[in-house]
Amino acid sequence: MDFGVVELTDEARAFWAELREFLDEQLTDDLRAAVHVAGSDFYEPFQRAMGARGWLMPHWGTDEGGAALDPVRRHILALELSRQAAPINIIDTTAIGAEAVKAWGSDELRAEVLPGVTSGAIRICLGYTEPDAGSDLAAVRTRAVRAGDDWIIKGSKMFTTGAQVSQFSFLLARTNTEVAKHKGLTMFLVPLDDPGVSVGPIETLGGERTNVVYYGDVRITDKYRLGPVDGGWSVLSAPLDEEHGIGTANGQGLGEINGQGAWHNRSLQRIFAAAHRWAVTPDADGDAPIDEQATAARLAQVAMDIEVARSTPGAMGRVVAAELLIQDAADLIDLAAPDSLIARGESGAVEDGTFEWGHRFAPGSAIYGGTVEIQRNIIAQRFLGLPRPLMPSASKQSDPGKG
Amino acid sequence: MTESPPLRRNDYALSADQRALAEAFEEFFRKECPSSRVRDAEATGFDAGLWTDLCRLGAVSMAVGDPAAGGRASLVDLTLVAEPYGRYLAPLPLIESIVAAHMLERLGTAPATEWLHRLAEASCVVAVALSPVQAGRRQLVPAGAIADAVLCHDGAELVLFEPARPLAHVRNQACAPLARLDATGPAGARTVLAHGPAAVALMARARQEWKLLTAAALAGLAAGAVELGIDFAKSRHAFGAPIGTFQAIAHSLVDAAAGAAGSRHLTWKAAWFSEHEPASAEALVPMAYLHSIRSAVRATAVGVHVQGGFGFTRDSDEQLYFRRAKGWPLVYGDPNHELSVIADAIRNGWAPQMTA
Repeated sequence: MDFGVVELTDEARAFWAELREFLDEQLTDDLRAAVHVAGSDFYEPFQRAMGARGWLMPHWGTDEGGAALDPVRRHILALELSRQAAPINIIDTTAIGAEAVKAWGSDELRAEVLPGVTSGAIRICLGYTEPDAGSDLAAVRTRAVRAGDDWIIKGSKMFTTGAQVSQFSFLLARTNTEVAKHKGLTMFLVPLDDPGVSVGPIETLGGERTNVVYYGDVRITDKYRLGPVDGGWSVLSAPLDEEHGIGTANGQGLGEINGQGAWHNRSLQRIFAAAHRWAVTPDADGDAPIDEQATAARLAQVAMDIEVARSTPGAMGRVVAAELLIQDAADLIDLAAPDSLIARGESGAVEDGTFEWGHRFAPGSAIYGGTVEIQRNIIAQRFLGLPRPLMPSASKQSDPGKG
Repeated sequence: MTESPPLRRNDYALSADQRALAEAFEEFFRKECPSSRVRDAEATGFDAGLWTDLCRLGAVSMAVGDPAAGGRASLVDLTLVAEPYGRYLAPLPLIESIVAAHMLERLGTAPATEWLHRLAEASCVVAVALSPVQAGRRQLVPAGAIADAVLCHDGAELVLFEPARPLAHVRNQACAPLARLDATGPAGARTVLAHGPAAVALMARARQEWKLLTAAALAGLAAGAVELGIDFAKSRHAFGAPIGTFQAIAHSLVDAAAGAAGSRHLTWKAAWFSEHEPASAEALVPMAYLHSIRSAVRATAVGVHVQGGFGFTRDSDEQLYFRRAKGWPLVYGDPNHELSVIADAIRNGWAPQMTA
């Protein structure tokens, strides 16, 4: 057990200084404005600049386009990018697709895709969820039909953030309708420059721009299949389990223990920091909100929730972090009301509109990457040993939880 | 951009020694403290035979340790003993004794050391009054009804008070051996052990440790409470299925389990900081304490509810947990007061870390 400060080597210190200098140069007001407007947490010059340093896949070897970063420097990189709210969403989705290409792709596919991934020229978005299948992901209906040596992709995907700036989609498709639903799926890397692909924007409550993507008879060669035919659920599950917080713990004692909860907890930390600044700022009479005991207690509650969410492990940590974020974002917009209602950029906005944003952004945390209800089902069955419920479709197909 | 905060580890893992310690005491309490023993002791809140056996294992003496034998148990180690104590609801003054032992050891004077030796060999029980003595207020003291002496903060003095007769047992929801301390009351011997700032500091640290170890006990209690609910949900059938298959029931148990797991880890973290970086413990100990209380309360409420009519009877073990989830911490007053303590720590400069 160790929560102490890490003694850094000179190399690690130098790396951190280099990184801070890099981010000072890159994270300009122009970048912030462009990212805010475009809404996909993506900025191409930044992605390419990261790529030039090997920092898009930082743990890959330098011969693979990575930077061969050891765990400490990898952690420093993640910490600083997060602390400075660098636009990394599409970097992250690309990394998921890239790992699958590395693990399952042919030499030809790897040569075609990976250098572009590591340079920042190629981005990959995630084609999982559909208009009619989100939580019940194994029920996806986008089809991949064999046509000679090729496949024809037909269907639609929902909430494909970054599709408008990506070259490929890492896509889950149905290749077999005769077997149990999760046994008839295959993963593909689908080029998005095909004329059959059309991308339609969707604005979210939280301000993110995402997309619906239609695949109208998109023809791809078998080169773009990732993993075994009908074996897609396993290919997908490794990153999904990672998303659900059901993976191996960080061996260095550096990372968070709460799985996807770390991402939501970061948002809560950001809102708390703004609330703390707001609370200690005195008005013209010299009175600060924190002087009022009720206000101080509410702030204390949020600080405590941050620690609680950090200390709750794995998949449970994700559920707790998401729900505390939602609850506390709602409470903090109340605390700083009415000026908390004014958005960033408008005259009179409090703390750059953080509370206004936080309240709109928070609900997504209990939905994205699998709803907290699905998570609770997984926890109940896999961790508490509770029996599986009999679903209406169970008579036709076996449970997606197994193999 | 402001200076980056230092890089910290976030390693909750127990060492091999700590795992062995936890397992040893888990086994002791599991074997020696079944719920029947808890029920049998409810009249007094104390099982003397079990206390002797536990002290023989070194549960109190390890808190002060023997430098020649390789040192003392850390606060993290002590939470690993307090957890199974809480899980099995042991009717023993374990936490009170560890807190008293630490105080007596820190005092180091002859009378304190003499009491410490007797305490460590279980030939006496020393309780600690958690609040300062106030005229006209007779505070409830945990383990007061079985105590040979009570350490209390009276005015500017830290006093060891030996009542001439045992303090009267006040029956309470947890069936704990509570008694009222009356500064002007029953005759007894008063020994002043410290005064002024030293007395204040000793009591503050004692309160902090009591909260930390109570947090650990409640984390264990919560885990035990959830386990009862899970077992019931697996075996009880309704509408043709085990009731654990119904989402409302499964989800309520998941949330209770999440509280238990989180409070366990947060208590370890608070213990680590208490040992290594006490300034941060000013925020983390009250957080761990409050979260453990809320988790225990929720776990026992869910546990009773999931077991339906049976859960609501005195025959259910869950009701033993339910009464102690509140009973153990509330002797120190309203838990929500801890939010003020946390707020003070924030005002004094503590802030949560920005993580990756």
